[in-house]
Amino acid sequence: MSTALDALFVGRIYDSGRAMRRTTLRHTHLADQPLGIAMWRLGGERFRAAAIAWGPLGGPFELAVAGEPRNRDLYFAALAPFAADLCLRVRSAADAKVARQRGRRTELLPAGALQVVVPNRTTVGALGLLGRYLAYLSDRGGVTPDPALIEAGKHLRFYARHARVPGQALLLPLDRLVAEHWATLLSPFEQANLAALDAQIEPPAGTHAFHASAAAEALARIGPEPTEDIDRVTDALLAEFNTARGGSTDPAVVEPLARPLRDHYRRLIEPVWQLMDHAVARERRLPAAPSVQRRFEGDREAFGRHVDWMAGGGRYRTTDTPRQAAMTLRRLEDALARYDADKAVEDAACMVPYLLDGDAVRGVVASVNEHRVVARVRSVRRALMTLDTDDPAVLPAHKRLWWTATAHDHPWEVQAVQPHGLGSRITLMLDAAPTPARLPGAGDRVTLSVLHTRPDAYRLAPPLEAPWTHRPALPPPLPEPIDTGDAEPPSAAVDGTALPDPGRYT
Amino acid sequence: MSRRRSRPDPGAGTALDHVRGRAPTIRPNVRRLAAFANVHSCPTAAVAFAARVDTNRALAGTGAEVPYGQSPFAIGRGVAFEALLRRYGHAELRKVLTDGLGVDFTIAAIENLREGYQPNRTGLTLRASVTRTRMAEIVAAPPEPIVLDGAVLRADIGGLAAFFEADEMAIGVAGEIIVGENKSWPVVDGRPTDEDALGAALDQAATYVLLGRRALDQAGVDPGRVSGNVVLITPRNTGLAPVLHRQNVDGRVRRVERLLHAVPEVSDIAASVPPSVTFDRIADVSLPEEARLEAFAEITEELGRVYEPASCLTSCGFAWACRQCVFGAGDPAITGGPVARALPGVASLGRVAELGRGAPPSVTEAPAAVPIARAGRLYDEVMPAGRPGLRRPA
Repeated sequence: MSTALDALFVGRIYDSGRAMRRTTLRHTHLADQPLGIAMWRLGGERFRAAAIAWGPLGGPFELAVAGEPRNRDLYFAALAPFAADLCLRVRSAADAKVARQRGRRTELLPAGALQVVVPNRTTVGALGLLGRYLAYLSDRGGVTPDPALIEAGKHLRFYARHARVPGQALLLPLDRLVAEHWATLLSPFEQANLAALDAQIEPPAGTHAFHASAAAEALARIGPEPTEDIDRVTDALLAEFNTARGGSTDPAVVEPLARPLRDHYRRLIEPVWQLMDHAVARERRLPAAPSVQRRFEGDREAFGRHVDWMAGGGRYRTTDTPRQAAMTLRRLEDALARYDADKAVEDAACMVPYLLDGDAVRGVVASVNEHRVVARVRSVRRALMTLDTDDPAVLPAHKRLWWTATAHDHPWEVQAVQPHGLGSRITLMLDAAPTPARLPGAGDRVTLSVLHTRPDAYRLAPPLEAPWTHRPALPPPLPEPIDTGDAEPPSAAVDGTALPDPGRYT
Repeated sequence: MSRRRSRPDPGAGTALDHVRGRAPTIRPNVRRLAAFANVHSCPTAAVAFAARVDTNRALAGTGAEVPYGQSPFAIGRGVAFEALLRRYGHAELRKVLTDGLGVDFTIAAIENLREGYQPNRTGLTLRASVTRTRMAEIVAAPPEPIVLDGAVLRADIGGLAAFFEADEMAIGVAGEIIVGENKSWPVVDGRPTDEDALGAALDQAATYVLLGRRALDQAGVDPGRVSGNVVLITPRNTGLAPVLHRQNVDGRVRRVERLLHAVPEVSDIAASVPPSVTFDRIADVSLPEEARLEAFAEITEELGRVYEPASCLTSCGFAWACRQCVFGAGDPAITGGPVARALPGVASLGRVAELGRGAPPSVTEAPAAVPIARAGRLYDEVMPAGRPGLRRPA
């Protein structure tokens, strides 16, 4: 992102008191009714969702509160409805298939895929850890865990891992979605607070975006990691709950006793739910970019592969082999490059940073002529274009640029750059035989950039055997349960003010 | 590394007492030092650090108080994990050290320096002395390793003595001293569940390595005996069962060394701070909030401030108040350094907006103005004007 554009945004937002749009289009798929998930953990307990809310956004949410989430029986009993519902929704989404033709091969893809929306990236990590915990559960006292918990754990783990793919829309953290579409006065660190972001975009009338977001930041609690004030209340309620239940895990006993804790978490989740609903509704009002559907098709493909894999048991490695890690990294880097290119090619506002940084030029086509040139040994037809840019351009000879209208096709190569009025006159040669679709007309206003949407080259898969430099001393362990310690008695809460140095436990 | 002064200036202490006023104090520790490392270029933060002002509590009760408090469950987990390592004669600690280091710790001497000493400066001085003595014993090659639980290392921070408490120090492991840190966040599949916390823990351990090497150097013992491979003990998976990890922190040690060198001398600060500067009014809870924040703004105006959201918001209790001042002044630093650095010669954000609309720049603004104006023109060219229907009803 160009710093000049960022500086402009900051200046204008300061001046106008409201956030500004970074894009003219929405670059992420939004389902009609995505499944919302919001959660709160117990402080410091990475695997314990003290409360988890879920349901189609736009409607009311279901709420699971274990009471004492560090008690395995209570925890799993509370999570069971969530797990069962998640599994049902995943299976239903994968039921209907559509055929896709790839060359002579016909593939069946899920017609849809369950989209999950969460308030922030921290929740993505929290769901991933919860998934890791549930995906491989061991028997306890000869009792097999609820299969729905295991299945839901594998789904959550898949979703959290897939969330790393740039441009994906299966698991959508709203802080990232909103920050991608809007420029605000918030630094990247502050953008993690969805309430602050929202307040900058739609501050109350008469309030500057800065003051609105500062107030929201001080008051709003988004989760999943609780602040001190929240867990002080939780601590008191949890102590009452544990005393009253006297060690019982009988639902008939526990259910009514957990009501104060449920009310406590409902109060916390309600504003978050409204905020998520509001943010999704606002972003949905932006028209979707053309490539959104293609990216979501990639998501559906990954979703379909996951569901098929689950039918066979669904065991995933929990630690990548070096080969898997290399392939994953390449896949993510390719996805990022393609996502950036898609955005800039389709959305003129996203091209502005590239124009400012000298990675793109915009101007009026002065002429387009056909010539014959000798390429290697044969004389071939080539098009030469002269482009008069609005601003001075600095480009090396032979630099390859793609016209945004044919970003999926061949590039134009810079032949010469000369001063012309206030801008430059650039001569470019098309790197392929000219066809009408590949040529702009004289007088057209066009943009060319270093971004393209065609695959760079066919990529060979890495060797099956990693080179010795990347071979670990021990092979990665097979997936194993991590729940051995979850029967340990819960640690007592400790008031930091009673300790000489509470920061030691940060 | 040599300091500019080896003895604290008594007059400096008095001057800094005045600077601190009634503001809450904080003892320097490794986390405070790490937090200061993130903001050490800020003059206000430097003065507050030298005067031992607890920036996290100085603005308590105002809207600018940054909530740094921790969940009692998170603290409870940390306390429980340490208790687990210590119970039954440090049985778990012995086991995890034996398994992780490949040296038998079952009959190692473990000295718990957290017990039996007063929780004050005198106690810390004694613990530092015991730590130094035990470390020097490495020369005598003790037959069994020694573990110091709660070792204390003394350091000179900006000309004043400070004490740093390490979780463990294992002495005499194959002729080396190994620094250890205990953290209660879990490791799953060999990976930390909190990468930022891992970085912070390794930075702490690196500080202890550096201070331990200095202590050996002063005792005439080869400082290289303190290993750059530190030990991190964390729970594994969902329970509290400990597991040991080893990590080299030599790069971090060099960074900490540079940082300690950059800590301003207390006496220099005391001599340079104008007499009018005091944090007294900022921390005065009897004053209305506006008066306290106004006092803060006056101090930062006088001393200067460097606001960098990424580091200030995670490390300095003054961050929200500072952000308010930055906004009030229309300072381009509000969203961070890259934007501020893109605007040399431009006085305020209001002026940036004008330049973005094509206002003629002054001579000093010219270098920054051209790209801003171009950005404004390009953005306006592609963005439809107005956003009907987005404003919330009043």
